[in-house]
Amino acid sequence: MNVKSLIKRNYKKQPEIDFPDYKSSIFRAPKNKKISIPSNNSEIFGPVFNKKIIGKLDNDLTLNFSKNKMSPLGHKIIVHGTISDQFSKPIKGALIEIWQANAAGKYLHQNDKNTAPIDPNFAGCGRSLTSSDGSYEFLTIQPGPYPYPNRGIEWRPMHIHFSIFGESFGQRLITQMYFEGDPLINLCPIVNSISDEKAKKSLVGKLDTSRSNTQNILAYKFDIVLRGVKQTYFENRQEGL
Amino acid sequence: MKNSKKLLDETPSQTAGPFLHIGCMPNKIKINNLHKSDLGEIPFKNKNKTEIITVEGSVFDGNGVALDDVMLETWQCDENGQFIEDNGFARFIPDNFTKKFKLFTLKPGRVQNLEGKNQSPHICLSISSRGLNMTLNTRIYFEGEDLIKDPILSIIKKNKGNLDSLVAKKIQKNVYIFDVFLQGEKETVFFDI
Ligand SMILES: [Fe+3]
Repeated sequence: MNVKSLIKRNYKKQPEIDFPDYKSSIFRAPKNKKISIPSNNSEIFGPVFNKKIIGKLDNDLTLNFSKNKMSPLGHKIIVHGTISDQFSKPIKGALIEIWQANAAGKYLHQNDKNTAPIDPNFAGCGRSLTSSDGSYEFLTIQPGPYPYPNRGIEWRPMHIHFSIFGESFGQRLITQMYFEGDPLINLCPIVNSISDEKAKKSLVGKLDTSRSNTQNILAYKFDIVLRGVKQTYFENRQEGL
Repeated sequence: MKNSKKLLDETPSQTAGPFLHIGCMPNKIKINNLHKSDLGEIPFKNKNKTEIITVEGSVFDGNGVALDDVMLETWQCDENGQFIEDNGFARFIPDNFTKKFKLFTLKPGRVQNLEGKNQSPHICLSISSRGLNMTLNTRIYFEGEDLIKDPILSIIKKNKGNLDSLVAKKIQKNVYIFDVFLQGEKETVFFDI
C-alpha cells in the first residue's frame, strides 16, 4: 500500500514564534516546544475547494468593490506566480485568499486606527484557485506602507497578506508578500522574525519587467512553495503489528 | 526518495495580522457584496439538526485575556470516519462581546491512522492571529471517548504533554467546552504536524 506523508517542517527557515521585537508575540506565542506527531490522514487529506465558490471578479481587486466602475486610487499592479510543493510539483486547485491595505496604507477595517483615508472603491480582498499548472494571478493596487504601534511607532513595508490551502491541512500556509526594493523590509521585526536570509528573500515579490512591458501595468512575481507530500510504499500491516 | 533532487524550501510563514477578516471572512466585518457567504460557515451541508454538536470555548493569551481577533479553522471527517473533499472544513472567530467561539458540526467518527490503527474521534484545529508568526496546530478530542489507545495521545503522554488541554469537556448532550491557552500553566499542546 502507498502511504502518504508530509515532509517535516524545517523550522530554521521559518520565523521564530517567540520573538519579542514583535511585541504582539510576547503574550501570544506558546512557550512550550511543539510536540512532533507522525503524518496522519487527518492532516494529509483536504480540504479542497470547489471552483464554484470563486466569482468572476474575485481576483480583480480593482473592480470587485468599485462603485459605478470607478477605479480605486493608486497604481495598478499584477501579482502572479505559481504554487508548487517541495518536489517542484505544481499544485492545482490551491485556494489563495489575499488581503491588503489601499494605496494610502489603510485597511477597510474598523480596528485600523491609521488616520489615512479609506478608498470607497477598494476593499483589499481577493481570492483565486490555481490553474492546472499551479499558476495564479491577481490584478490589484500597489498597497501603501503603514505605521503601527510596536516599539513606539514602526512602519510595515508594503505587503499583501496571503492565505493558502494546498491539498492537505498540513500544507496550510499564511504569509505575506513584500515588494522588491522596499527599504522598510529590512527594518521590519515581523520580517526579521525569520533569521535565514534566503528564506526572508523568498517573501519578496520580484518586479517582472517582461510582463510589465506587455501589459502596461507593473507586474510582480511571487512563487510559493508548500510542504511536500511524499508517497512511501508499505506492506499492508495488520492492526497491532 | 525516488531521486536525490534537492527539495525546495517551504515558503516561510508570516503573521496573519489583525485584519485577516478582510481576506478570510469579509462578511463578518460587513464587506457584504463580495462573496455570498464566508468560507467554512457551515462545515457539513444538509445534515439533520439532531446530529449536530456544539463545541464552544475561548482562546486565552498569556495575560488570561480571552481574544476576539484570532481565527480558528477546523478540519475533520464525517460521522462515519470519511474525509469528504469540501465538507468538514469550518472557519470561525470568537464573538466580540462574549469572547467565545461556537463550532456547530458533526461529531467525527473513528478514523484509522496510516498504519491501520484506530484513532479516537478528533477534530484538527488551527489558530492564526496577530502576534502568531506561524499558524498553530492542535486537535480537539472528546470526553467520554476511549482516549487511552489513541496513537497520537500516546505520543503526547510519552512527551509529558498536557493531555487535558486536548480534550473537550462534555457539559450536556451534544455540547462540549474546549478552551485554548496560548501560554501559562494550562498551555495547550501544539503539534509539529
Ligand atoms: Fe498588513
